[in-house]
Amino acid sequence: MEAMTAAASNKIPVPMAGDDRAGKYLAFQLGKEEYAIRVLKVREIIGVQEITTVPQTPDYIRGVFNLRGKVIPVVDLQRKFGFATTENNARTCIVVVEVASGGRVMLMGILVDAVSEVRNIAAGDIEDTPDFGRDVSVPYLLGVAKTKGQVNLLLDIDSALQTHEVEVLSSMAVS
Amino acid sequence: MMPGPDVEGEGWQEFLGDLKQLAEAQGRAEVSRLATEYLAQPEASLGDMQQQLVRLQKACEGRPAPPAALAQDPELVRDFIMESREHLQNIERSMLAIENDPSDVESIHGTFRAFHTIKGLAGFLEFSVIQEVAHEVETLLDMARNHQIELTGSTVDVILASADHLNQQLMPLEKTLLGEPAPEAPDPEELLARIRGILRGDKAAPEAAAPEQISAPVVTTVEATATPFPLNDEQPAPVAKVDSLAVEAPKAPAAPAAIVPAPPAPVEVRPVEAKAPSASPAVTAQKAPAGNTAQAPSGGSMSSVKVDTGKLDYLVDMVGELVIAQSLVRHNPDLVALKNPSLMRTISQLGRITDEVQKTAMSMRMVPLETLFQKMIRLVRDLSRKAGKQIEMDIAGEDTELDRNIVEALADPLMHMVRNSIDHGIETSTQRAATDKPPVAKVKLHAAHQAGYIMITVGDDGRGMDRKKILAKARERGLVENGDNLSDNDVFNLIFEPGFSTAEQVTDISGRGVGMDVVKRQIQKLRGRIEIVSVLGKGTEFTLKVPLTLAIIDGLIVGVGEERYIVPIFAIKEMLRPTPGTLSTVEGRAEIALIRGRVLPVVRLYRRFGVEPKSRDPEQSLIIIAEARGRDFCLVVDDLIGKQEVVIKSLGDGIRPVPGIAGGAILGDGRVGLILDMNGVFSADDGANRAA
Repeated sequence: MEAMTAAASNKIPVPMAGDDRAGKYLAFQLGKEEYAIRVLKVREIIGVQEITTVPQTPDYIRGVFNLRGKVIPVVDLQRKFGFATTENNARTCIVVVEVASGGRVMLMGILVDAVSEVRNIAAGDIEDTPDFGRDVSVPYLLGVAKTKGQVNLLLDIDSALQTHEVEVLSSMAVS
Repeated sequence: MMPGPDVEGEGWQEFLGDLKQLAEAQGRAEVSRLATEYLAQPEASLGDMQQQLVRLQKACEGRPAPPAALAQDPELVRDFIMESREHLQNIERSMLAIENDPSDVESIHGTFRAFHTIKGLAGFLEFSVIQEVAHEVETLLDMARNHQIELTGSTVDVILASADHLNQQLMPLEKTLLGEPAPEAPDPEELLARIRGILRGDKAAPEAAAPEQISAPVVTTVEATATPFPLNDEQPAPVAKVDSLAVEAPKAPAAPAAIVPAPPAPVEVRPVEAKAPSASPAVTAQKAPAGNTAQAPSGGSMSSVKVDTGKLDYLVDMVGELVIAQSLVRHNPDLVALKNPSLMRTISQLGRITDEVQKTAMSMRMVPLETLFQKMIRLVRDLSRKAGKQIEMDIAGEDTELDRNIVEALADPLMHMVRNSIDHGIETSTQRAATDKPPVAKVKLHAAHQAGYIMITVGDDGRGMDRKKILAKARERGLVENGDNLSDNDVFNLIFEPGFSTAEQVTDISGRGVGMDVVKRQIQKLRGRIEIVSVLGKGTEFTLKVPLTLAIIDGLIVGVGEERYIVPIFAIKEMLRPTPGTLSTVEGRAEIALIRGRVLPVVRLYRRFGVEPKSRDPEQSLIIIAEARGRDFCLVVDDLIGKQEVVIKSLGDGIRPVPGIAGGAILGDGRVGLILDMNGVFSADDGANRAA
């Protein structure tokens, strides 16, 4: 983290040879932007299911749905990131991801507008997240990848789904 | 082996004499002491001599190396531990039976057989300490069988202590099996000396410790604490230890069956017995003892299979899913539209089979309360001796079956309550004599089925709860302002507040005020309730009402706008459609309902959860009278949709626990329904300004 912020503040993109960010990513769309998460984090991709809203949860938690007998929460990343939400359409789907939290792995669904493809992103294509100045903080990004002239925002899904939930998790007493 | 002596008469004496000299020369006090001891009993039998020799030899060699069997065949050792635990439990049961009725020959035989089996197995696996202890007790029981000694007070104490000791001996073995650091096995010397004391015919001792001198064994215990051997020091502990482990066991991920220390872990499945019309004589022969376990401690378990509890839990889970999937198929609109009679028949046949499978799977997890009650009997016995109170147990319904997990979770609360009864409830014998109560107090432990619930009653005929005392204490602690207008039930419920105790003095049994709040919380976790009935001077009775199983609840599905929620039926007291004037507001804010003269607070679920209802007019909606935190309140919902048994699931770690929601369940149409937690639904509205 320190290295990254240092690099970012120097405004010198330092693509490292052994960049551990390189690898296979699943690219998907959120609104007009294209994001990518590590393929290893993806459990499955399914169409939109009937989602049951859970009262008194933040609005970005759409609710819970039934994944073959398991109850899985669904997070709307657009709401979480503060974009205008797009209506569900035929291409909307739920990406079920494995999120590590406190030593345990849990399943969560993220609602995405469309899944594009699995891309192999080389270390040379990855740049550190540019510094947008004080007003813009992008804590969930691992970096930015440029492939075939397209920009993919590499999402750190663990922290994207967690930062706000961490205190929630730690405050969880029962069940 | 050391060169054995000529066992006939003088050769033995001579050998011992030589040994004693040698030992003294080498400064081995233990060996020399034993040798002297044995020299003093020239009439010792052949069997005794062999035993003595083994022990002498061990004393010479120091501690024996860990047996090879442990490393070679862990499977055998695991079986040995399981089996021994079962026997030890039977032993405890039989001994308590014998204590009540010393002429109970069958129990003596049973205990003898149990120790004998343990001895045999331990010998085979080379666990010499276990073998030796078992052997000594066996000898003791043999004498009892032949009416050479009487099984009373201190003798029973010793046998029970031996059973506890063997249990402790099993612990390190188990730990080693699991690859955990093994604790040091307890030293058997002290115990063996006690057994031998009785064997040698200190017949006077057990007589002296006969019933009227209840405190006698306590004195010995206290003395023993000063000796370097930890055994007696720990004597009261095993019960508590076993309990706490049993409760924790489900959390342990690996090999659950092996960790749970008491036999409730392997659930005994008795599938064939009931149904198969048995032509084979073998099956018929086993039927009799199986139904009569209290009388026949060994045997009777031949027609059952031991199953890893993890597998069983998984099976029950999967069957739950099967039931839901089956119901999804049955209600699938496309299939229903086919209107194909043969398909419908097949589907309903599938439904029946699924139901049957579910029932069977659930019943496999059911265990009788017997083992739990057994622990309580032992606890009462030990505590009554410690407190110097004469207590008689009144037990009923120990064959009542319920979910294994619940039985385990009930152990702690029951123990607290029994302790409280003995320590606070029951008076000392002098106090009892001052009133016209019989000198022997009664502790009642009853269990019975009641409409999908188990009612467990723990009662005593002691001094009862003093309303004034409780109120005074509550005022002192600032729990109530005045409290004079509280109902008896409300007052008694104060004892469940954390840190509340009216006992004048803190004893080591109870009185620190931890306990009853834990009891309450634990019972609530099991979705149960506690009720107290107490009459000053006559006694107190606690009634626990717990569901038969934790995995499934009966729920009413209610609708609020587009949403559907599941209300656990156990929380519902009544449902009604309000008439004009039922609801009114207080100070324009809080809402109350007047129902048959009772004023109840009102919670509108749509407001509580912020959903859009079908109608805001209470007359178009439904009122559910439910209980939360011991008080009734009205829950306003749109309508009743149906009733369903649901498998409770957690909403997952990704969502913070929502007050008012206990979890989720898959409904008949495949959607997730949220299960309401009445305490949470109610408290956010009203609980904040409650006195407590």
